[in-house]
Amino acid sequence: MSELRVILALARNDFSYFFRTKWLMAVLLSLHLSDMLVVALVYERMMTFDYFTYFVPAVIIMGLFAASMDTGRRIWLALREGVIQYELSLPVSTLGLVIAYLLAGGSAALVYSGSLMAIALIVLPTNAIWSLLILLPFLFVLAMGLAGIAATLAAIASTHGEFFFAFQNVVQVALLVLSTVYYPVEVIQNYLPSFLITVIRANPLSLAAEALRQYAFAGISIEPSHLLSLLLASVPFTMVGAVAYLSALRKFQVDGKL
Amino acid sequence: MRNVIRFIWFDLKPELRPPVWIIMEWTVFLVQVGVYGVIISQLVTGINDYRRFFAVGLVIMITFDMASHTGRHFVEHAHEGRLPYLLSLPISRSKLFLAIALQGATELALMLALPLTVTLLIIGNLSLISVIACILTLFWLGFGIAGLMLGLSFIAFKSSDLYTAIVTGLSTIIIRFSTVLYPFIFLPAQYASAAAFSPLTYGSDLVRFILGFDPAVLLNPVYAVCVLAALSASTLGLGVFLIQRLVEGVKSA
Repeated sequence: MSELRVILALARNDFSYFFRTKWLMAVLLSLHLSDMLVVALVYERMMTFDYFTYFVPAVIIMGLFAASMDTGRRIWLALREGVIQYELSLPVSTLGLVIAYLLAGGSAALVYSGSLMAIALIVLPTNAIWSLLILLPFLFVLAMGLAGIAATLAAIASTHGEFFFAFQNVVQVALLVLSTVYYPVEVIQNYLPSFLITVIRANPLSLAAEALRQYAFAGISIEPSHLLSLLLASVPFTMVGAVAYLSALRKFQVDGKL
Repeated sequence: MRNVIRFIWFDLKPELRPPVWIIMEWTVFLVQVGVYGVIISQLVTGINDYRRFFAVGLVIMITFDMASHTGRHFVEHAHEGRLPYLLSLPISRSKLFLAIALQGATELALMLALPLTVTLLIIGNLSLISVIACILTLFWLGFGIAGLMLGLSFIAFKSSDLYTAIVTGLSTIIIRFSTVLYPFIFLPAQYASAAAFSPLTYGSDLVRFILGFDPAVLLNPVYAVCVLAALSASTLGLGVFLIQRLVEGVKSA
């Protein structure tokens, strides 16, 4: 019970650190709000397709993704600044520490994307608020999975900041471009090979964006199989991230460095 | 001149061993043009071959990022106490500032080498004069943007955190409210008036005009030349004025 309290305290600390980082909030909010209220609107005027309705839900997922990936930066900072040494001295197991970071990453991403969701509901009204609420726990699992990817990158890059930010950038672009966040799969099918289409369909960002578009904004009734797919696509990332970060911390405990 | 080169190499060396950022920027550019650009241009029906328009937009964004990075680093170095050290070296002020400007230009040239080549190949059918004019315009734009970041330096001396937050937030807004990603004629009226204040609107439309894009979707190039000249002169003038007041004998963090 006392370990659980320490885990929650660590998670709360990391969670609040995310929202206290002024430059990060300025970047994320300006990026996502301008994507939602400027880019989506202008692109729609250049297309015969209703891009605004298509893209606004996707921006919420992009926000969730960006906020989750910041977990990696905070882990990398903790490793570089020596905060991790202090955290390892606390009455909490190494696994508990890993769980705290993933919990904080998932919660921060969910709260941040929740604020984007509130704005999206103003510009793109929906009658399916309940569907949106049902989707929230699944988005939380997805955020934990994405935080897991970020944790893996931070563990691989160790204290080399330039490698971590480069890996993170490439992974972000690859996951977003190879998804249905920006464009429908019907358009992609004409240009990419079939194995990449399978990857794009299975991409958790595609699954989450489609779930928001169809169930929360278009008002179609929720299909449990789609939510199951979202879970199955997200959980492995969480597991891999947890194992990678745990191994990095164990190495740190034994060698005193990474 | 040897001192200037030594100074440039001193700062560039860590970034080139290994050149992680350059390779990353090139990879991201290739993925964006090769996948995103190709697919999104199938949806865009308002202009002919949007991929060409988008590729130029990405080149402008790289120019903007590198220029703001140069301006920001100068301010951060001043704030962190590195600049006072450089000022104490046996090198004249003019040489020091020349070295900093040349270092920014070298970084920009390295970052743009592949993206600009790919963009010019995608557009094709260009004369040597238009290629040279395009490169000069990009460096000119970079010069103005770096000056803009220096002009905002006074905020850094109040709060470094606030400066980073304002500059990074402003960067995104400047790009979105401009013609970097879409032509001016497609902007709604309320956004168009904001875009008219963005230096990137004029920089990107001038580069596109030089590269032979349809002038009907671009702003008048005469206005673009005037705005870019005014931007470079005013922001660098303001920057030099503020630097003289703030950097010489500056308080550091």
